[in-house]
Amino acid sequence: MKIAAFTKTYEERRVLDFPGGELLPGRIYAVIGANGSGKSTFARILAGALAPDKKTVHPDRFTVGYMPQRNYAFRMSARANILLGGKDPARAAELMEQLRIAHLADKRADRLSGGETARMALARLMMRRFDLVILDEPTAAMDMETTSLSEELILRYVKETGCALVLVTHSLQQARRVADEALYFHKGALLEQGPREVVLVDPVQPETRQFLEFYGL
Amino acid sequence: MGSPLAKAIQLIFSANAELLNILSVTAKMSLRSSVLALLLGLPLGIWLGACRFPGRGALLVLNRTLMGMPPVVCGLIFYMLFSGVGPFRHLKLLFTVDIMVMAQVVLITPIVIGNMETYVAGVAPAVRETARGLGLSRLRTFVLLCNECVYQIISAYLMAFARSIAEVGAVSMVGGAISWKTNVMTTAIMQHTNRGNFTLGVALGLILLTLSLLVNILVSVLQRRLSR
Repeated sequence: MKIAAFTKTYEERRVLDFPGGELLPGRIYAVIGANGSGKSTFARILAGALAPDKKTVHPDRFTVGYMPQRNYAFRMSARANILLGGKDPARAAELMEQLRIAHLADKRADRLSGGETARMALARLMMRRFDLVILDEPTAAMDMETTSLSEELILRYVKETGCALVLVTHSLQQARRVADEALYFHKGALLEQGPREVVLVDPVQPETRQFLEFYGL
Repeated sequence: MGSPLAKAIQLIFSANAELLNILSVTAKMSLRSSVLALLLGLPLGIWLGACRFPGRGALLVLNRTLMGMPPVVCGLIFYMLFSGVGPFRHLKLLFTVDIMVMAQVVLITPIVIGNMETYVAGVAPAVRETARGLGLSRLRTFVLLCNECVYQIISAYLMAFARSIAEVGAVSMVGGAISWKTNVMTTAIMQHTNRGNFTLGVALGLILLTLSLLVNILVSVLQRRLSR
């Protein structure tokens, strides 16, 4: 999947400059970087939720699924929310079971806790097959156990569907656990991109090294 | 005040013909005007709240101005348009319930629009982003957005109804407060107080206050549900 180069400017301030690239099916790409580095802007533009300055980012030949940073729970039951993603009740039940939210199925989704809402949103997205899936900090509100369950589900979903998955995360450990490749954003620019073993272990760019050192990695 | 109050309460329960007529005209006018304002204001409010387009800011300023329009100014405009020298005199609507409804629609619709716009502007971006992320169609997204607004729609309607029932300036000017024809609760209170007939005025005031209280309780309950 070819992604065209794009930029994003707010009031004459360039917040993102992406040189373009290619996403391969069946691969997980971790997007890392400090706050304000442009990670979420990149994810939102890629998902079509935010317009870039110019050009189309990708052709409509492939389907894109997106889980925003702030998960919205519609005023209906958790099950009904999940069924918005797809019409298969058996699949919904299976996902709820896997993410341990089956007991919340009939509860109003807008009354769930942050972690429960995030799991519901993840299940909702994974009801359908997409060519490209973008998850913006999907486990930020989850505890360690549910984070682990979610990561297992993400890995299984990619394996089963063969989609390309972009995972925006603040957790470098998570990036190391699930990603095949990593993209490091620094001050709105893609500074380094490559296999996990390189970017997250032995990066080339000094800024990336500094970033990893800051996290004690 | 004890005596007029006691008499007023007695009057309410005595099924007084004039009182019943005033209540009937008020109900007819308020229900019609609030429903029409809702039908007009709802789509406009959702549109202004959910969409971004050139001129939206100007429309919002215009709506806020209309929200604060003094009822007597609205009454004056309608009076001039429909009186014997106005361009619509041939319609013979002056001093009828119909023109009272029309004037109230002009006064109340901006309230519905403003109410809906504020709420929808807050919720629409998240709904749109989530729906887009799930690959839902525009129609499905719109239906979901409306579903998210259900309590707000009821709340907006109740506010419109409360404003309609309590309004006096415009309806007295265009309706003329004609007994047994266009006299509504608010105009009747003024009329009977001016005549020194406090009993009917107090009785109507009590009914008006009770209705206002009920509407406000309903709005509070809905707002509590909205606040999650």
